[in-house]
Amino acid sequence: MTWFLPGLLLCAMAQAVLLGPLSVWGIRPDLFLLLVFLVSQRVSPEAATGLGFLIGLCQDGLSGGPLGLHAFSDSLVGFLAARLSHHMYTDKPLALFWILLGGSAAAGGITLALLAFFLGPRLVLPALFRVIVPEALYTAAVGLLILCLPQIRAALTRPT
Amino acid sequence: MSLLLRLLARYRRAVILTTALVLSFLLMTLQVRHESGVVTFTRQALLFVVSPFIKVTSATIRGVTGTWRDYVDLRALREENKRLQLETTTLKRRLEQLQDQALETQRLERLLAMRQASRAEFLTARVVGKDATNWFKTILLDRGSLEGIRRNQPVLAPDGLVGRVVEVTPSSARVQLLTDPVSAVGGLIQRTRVTGIVSGNLGAGARVRYLPLMADVAVGDEVLTSGMGGVFPKGILIGRITSVERKSGALFQEATLQSAVDLSRLEEVLILTHLDVREGFESGAGSQP
Repeated sequence: MTWFLPGLLLCAMAQAVLLGPLSVWGIRPDLFLLLVFLVSQRVSPEAATGLGFLIGLCQDGLSGGPLGLHAFSDSLVGFLAARLSHHMYTDKPLALFWILLGGSAAAGGITLALLAFFLGPRLVLPALFRVIVPEALYTAAVGLLILCLPQIRAALTRPT
Repeated sequence: MSLLLRLLARYRRAVILTTALVLSFLLMTLQVRHESGVVTFTRQALLFVVSPFIKVTSATIRGVTGTWRDYVDLRALREENKRLQLETTTLKRRLEQLQDQALETQRLERLLAMRQASRAEFLTARVVGKDATNWFKTILLDRGSLEGIRRNQPVLAPDGLVGRVVEVTPSSARVQLLTDPVSAVGGLIQRTRVTGIVSGNLGAGARVRYLPLMADVAVGDEVLTSGMGGVFPKGILIGRITSVERKSGALFQEATLQSAVDLSRLEEVLILTHLDVREGFESGAGSQP
């Protein structure tokens, strides 16, 4: 886990600066959430909760939203992903995509619920179609690409 | 004591998860009612630590993009005659540089014209980062409290209003864009002098809320800051009305607004640092497209 802090810093840089030109209709993939997924596959649920909290806190610090918003969803997602990591283990890209999509959508749903609770009722449908679904799709696609990189590389270097 | 420790060890998963969730919830609760010292300190410390990296990354990307562009140009031209290639590359690069310089000069001239048109004092800053989530619309500037930036100072572009400063560290500042879902700006329809509240939206654009039901509001109307609320001076162009909604049974009508400034392509902004002078915007450059 020596890569955690450099990974977190890289995520912060990418999310704040690099992903701007890659945004589609103003939506960027949530790299912090992908980091939570990656971390939770390698540590215990207790550690995944703590690290998820830290990642979320960092994301909140770099955002205009209230501190604790993503810390809440990321610690919960981290815990669940680590707890269910044995059941979620798969090398099938489509299954992996659906897992990432579900996790990202769940994190979006939790964020929306918290925003509605603290900042007043949000419009559910606009949030669903303009933020949660596109963000989940984009995050799942990028996550799939990152997780399948070793397979892609192996396929490319395999002797014919 | 040992029993408590044994219980904690036995239920450590639930304890850690509950602690993390309660702590997050508590942090959010502290910020809802009023500014909390702990939260402000944590945010500023995080931003203080990360903003130098963001600035360096932003500068590096600008450099790498330039180098990459040069590299691509060179590769494309290699197939052509070498003498012509060299000449073309040099000319092309020079032209690009001049075009970039011309565009930058144009932008800076407009910023300068705006500064001179109003008697207020401005500070120019470069945009170095964006919000880390898709839920909020904020940007990060490369200037902070050391240069005189304070919270709630209005931020403008040559075409109109951008937002306000919400967070400041010694070397950086976070600006809440007017399209942020939690942003609210007092607005005034220039043609009919009807007032409303311009607030952000999840997704692109903004809405003008609380417009009186019988008020004359039409597509294309320009919306300016009303000066109410004490943060934004009166008369800065916010945007133009793109559609008006009058729902039956509603007490107010609402309108969607297209921001006068392209907030997704901001590179430099002006921060209004002197708030004593709050007049002359409506006839000045700030309200002109």
